Amino acid sequence: MRNVAIIGCGQTKHSSRRRDVNLAELVEEAVTNALVDAEMTMDEVNALVVGNMQGFGGVAQPEQWLGDWIGAPGKPVIRIATGGTTGGSVGQGGYYAVASGLYDVALAVAWEKHSDSREPGATMGLAHVGIANMFHAFNYGLSLKSLAATAGVGAAAGVAVYQARYYMHRSGCSIEHLDMVAAKARRNAAKNKYAHLQWPDCTPEDIAKTELIAYPFRYGHICPASDGASAIVFAEEKIAVKKAKQPAWIKGLASFSDEENQLQSENYGGVGVLDPSEQMGCRMSAKKAYKMAGITDPKKEIDLAEIYQPFPSQELLFAEKLGLFDEGKAWIAMEKGETDINGTIPTDLSGGVNATNAIGSSALQRILECALQIMGKAGEHQAPKKIRNAVAHGWGGNTNYITVTVLGDSPRR
Amino acid sequence: MEKQSEIIRVTGLPVAAGYNWSAGSQMEGFIKALAKKKIMGAKCSKCGYTYVPPRSRCGKCNAKIEDKDLVEISGKGSLVGYTTARVELDGAGNFQDLKKPKMIGAIKLEGSDSTIFMPIEGIDPKKAKEGMKVKVQWREKAKGELADIVCFKPEKS
Repeated sequence: MRNVAIIGCGQTKHSSRRRDVNLAELVEEAVTNALVDAEMTMDEVNALVVGNMQGFGGVAQPEQWLGDWIGAPGKPVIRIATGGTTGGSVGQGGYYAVASGLYDVALAVAWEKHSDSREPGATMGLAHVGIANMFHAFNYGLSLKSLAATAGVGAAAGVAVYQARYYMHRSGCSIEHLDMVAAKARRNAAKNKYAHLQWPDCTPEDIAKTELIAYPFRYGHICPASDGASAIVFAEEKIAVKKAKQPAWIKGLASFSDEENQLQSENYGGVGVLDPSEQMGCRMSAKKAYKMAGITDPKKEIDLAEIYQPFPSQELLFAEKLGLFDEGKAWIAMEKGETDINGTIPTDLSGGVNATNAIGSSALQRILECALQIMGKAGEHQAPKKIRNAVAHGWGGNTNYITVTVLGDSPRR
Repeated sequence: MEKQSEIIRVTGLPVAAGYNWSAGSQMEGFIKALAKKKIMGAKCSKCGYTYVPPRSRCGKCNAKIEDKDLVEISGKGSLVGYTTARVELDGAGNFQDLKKPKMIGAIKLEGSDSTIFMPIEGIDPKKAKEGMKVKVQWREKAKGELADIVCFKPEKS
């Protein structure tokens, strides 16, 4: 397997409504920015891996329409759609295309344009997450009103409220800690020019004033629905060294679909357990990715994390599943400031999914943000310390699918 | 066969999905120009390929197409391909027979390299031929919407 590095990153500004551009033009902005960043032209790109959340935006096979806009004609293209993790899978697909030796340079492109749908999310696309919500409602009980409310503010909220409850019960974390995570995400986003919900100096008290949607989630805890796109240029070792001063090397990766999938849970004759905060798929992905990356103690060796956290409880519980903190202890570390920009493991310095959620693109942005931090290109939200290893996480599928990608400042040896 | 629509077994759509696509600034310009009974195209400054309707990135050579590259296209063109429809949707997901067959054609406008699909009137489907010269038929009062182009008709009529 060949070494692969990220040598260029591109994003669009994210907002609720990018009505000035159509879907193809939006995606093209990110691609152009990535090529400029990599100092490359489309002629040097051998293959494309693209994707958005299946069914969203109301275009059945968007890659066929927008291919013309991103320079895809005449090049191999593969579309990947794994729900919320789409971007994570697209990024990993970009890696596979180059690591396998099939192509020397691959472009990974992911996007979402929520405003093209009349409803939040998208009528047909929402059905995917709706099914997950329904199974949680059947398992644990949820009134139709609450189900509608959680679906209205963010489709996966219907799943994540239970996940948050379980986590809080096990760890002793309180709703005030969720306020802190959400406030941190909005403050961090204010330093990221591409982010959506920017709120400089946002305090946990500001978040605590927002309306309670379904306990423990307040309105201020929940991610927005964003229009936006991101793109990454992956290159093999020789090109990467030639093109970039500090490439961001892909050191390890894995993705597991596991017990969170309610269709496979004990209630339905499957083997999955019922605690939606268990997230064995994340643990297994992290274990495999760290092994590949040669990381034995993630607490010491991982310098920065980009965790997929549409809901603040997820930044905490996934940090534990990624081995960055002991079980049930992430909220204590967060309270001490260890996940702040000057902390031991700065987490979601970009603001994360909690501040910006163009769903298909969201998990690719986690990889992209880790790459920016390693390359020293994050600008105002750049961590002051040298980032040697960073971990990028994605959560999605039917709320059961996890991607973990470990990036570093030196190639795998 | 009593009704053509009976061979297509669809009785109502199960769900309604609402969308609100943004067209992009060039396409918006195209739609607004229709109010003045003008058809705008975009000519790629790098490879010369001309698109109707206009677009902001050339699909042939990947060059950026700017607003200054917009060109006015004549309403005349030739028929590249066509089909004849005998049923239509009633708006509730059901098929119904058309009173008379409706011809839909791919038209290449003069000065354009791409084709547009429009209804064709005034041509007997049995006598239609690729290459036939057609011209645009505007709605009497153009409002700046796609429906301003009613159909295409034979150039000599």
